[in-house]
Amino acid sequence: MPDNLLVLSGLSKTFSDGTVAVDAVDLSIAKGTVTVIIGPSGSGKSTLLRMINLIEPPTAGHVVFDGIDLLQKDVDANALRRRIGMVFQLFNLFPHLSVLANLTIGPMTVLKKSKEEAEEAARAMLVKVGLANKADNYPAQLSGGQKQRIAIARALCMDPEVMLFDEPTSALDPEMIGEVLSVMKKLAADGMTMVVVTHEMDFARVFADTIIVMDGGKIIEAGTPEVIFGHPTNPRTKEFLHRVIDKE
Amino acid sequence: MDFSFLLNGRYVGILLGGLFLTLVLAIIAVGSGTVLALVPAFLRLSKNRLFRLVGTAYVEVIRGTPLLVQVLIIYSFFRMPVTVVLGIDLSSFIPGMLALFINSSAYVAEVIRGGILSVDRGQSEAAASLGMGKGLAMRKIILPQAVKNILPALGNEFVTLIKETSIFMYLGIAELMYAATIVRTSTYAVKESYIVAAILYFCLTFPTSKLMGLLERKMKKADAR
Ligand SMILES: Nc1ncnc2c1ncn2[C@@H]1O[C@H](COP(=O)(O)OP(=O)(O)O)[C@@H](O)[C@H]1O
Ligand SMILES: [Mg+2]
Repeated sequence: MPDNLLVLSGLSKTFSDGTVAVDAVDLSIAKGTVTVIIGPSGSGKSTLLRMINLIEPPTAGHVVFDGIDLLQKDVDANALRRRIGMVFQLFNLFPHLSVLANLTIGPMTVLKKSKEEAEEAARAMLVKVGLANKADNYPAQLSGGQKQRIAIARALCMDPEVMLFDEPTSALDPEMIGEVLSVMKKLAADGMTMVVVTHEMDFARVFADTIIVMDGGKIIEAGTPEVIFGHPTNPRTKEFLHRVIDKE
Repeated sequence: MDFSFLLNGRYVGILLGGLFLTLVLAIIAVGSGTVLALVPAFLRLSKNRLFRLVGTAYVEVIRGTPLLVQVLIIYSFFRMPVTVVLGIDLSSFIPGMLALFINSSAYVAEVIRGGILSVDRGQSEAAASLGMGKGLAMRKIILPQAVKNILPALGNEFVTLIKETSIFMYLGIAELMYAATIVRTSTYAVKESYIVAAILYFCLTFPTSKLMGLLERKMKKADAR
């Protein structure tokens, strides 16, 4: 397959309490594509996403990123993680650091960039997410939407090759969802490879190249938005879509 | 009651000297104890089962036995000739200090461990997602946040240690309790010497607790910046 940046095969996670959160998932993600993962709560979406950068260590299977099997013993996970950006549902900004320092700490400590270089890039990134005037603020002084845009900027400052989003808008007040989605849309338009867990069906419909539907730790259906929204084959997909779309 | 010994410069000098030594002992114990405490604290946080076991055993044994017993055990292991430096007999000071410092390290270890565990897991996940290694994340992300929880508890440990230094009386170190005993035997003002000692202890512990409370509130405020 051409240009597969990420290949997951037989990827599984069984938690120590016996819960099988993800059950032998196979998935290939091509460079420059947007993959949206949907599915009911508890279906294993977060766990799958978190296994891609090994924040959740898989219990079986493989994660091959740019041709490198991340689970090989001699692979330096941190060296690869820096090439994979992640955005969390609850932002996880560093509360003891200013917005600017949140953006520069990765580039300075991990990429060994000089302070000047890191700050210059960080300020440019703040302009991109529309928060240039917040550089010296602390996370606690920001709204939810602003926090999430900073979190996206923080990940982007590492110049990642793929961005993972775990329900980036579901902790936000409705009026703030738009500002975060518009940053993500710009990113998608710029050709960033993205894997997005979300309940924002409009985003999925317009921006996804592939939609993955999960249920019970498995991928039950995958396809283009036209297929998934137009004529899904799995009855559980239909049922799930009815539920979320009726709610909207 | 007869507090007239307080008008005698010599007795006041002995008491204030004792007060000062008490403070110094407590500061040394909490300072060095905190450094040593990092070892059992990180042992207990380790993924390695054996490390965790060693750390837990250390903390539990020390917290589960009286300080006086620990002091006497260590004292009996360190039989060194009387060596007086700056008016302090090192042959009893060093083992005494060692006991206090080991004792405080066990309590502080728990304070440090609790402070680190209280930092949200999302913080280390975010650090890891940026490619930061465990040590780097600990230094730059976790510890700076943990300190906010650790410092106030460390203040409480300091207050406890101020009181526990009274154990040094048994080793003939001229801390406050020993000073009070000297005053008692030379003036026969038994109740009065002890009451004055109690008041002096309180003069150290009360402002310290207040100061720590203030510090805690200030840091909470800084967090809500
Ligand atoms: N740390 C954990 N320990 C045990 N079970 C977990 C843990 N995290 C998630 N699970 C379980 O794994 C399943 C999938 O969870 P998750 O990946 O969070 O689903 P989703 O993101 O789709 O809501 C759920 O049944 C959840 O309860
Ligand atoms: Mg989830």
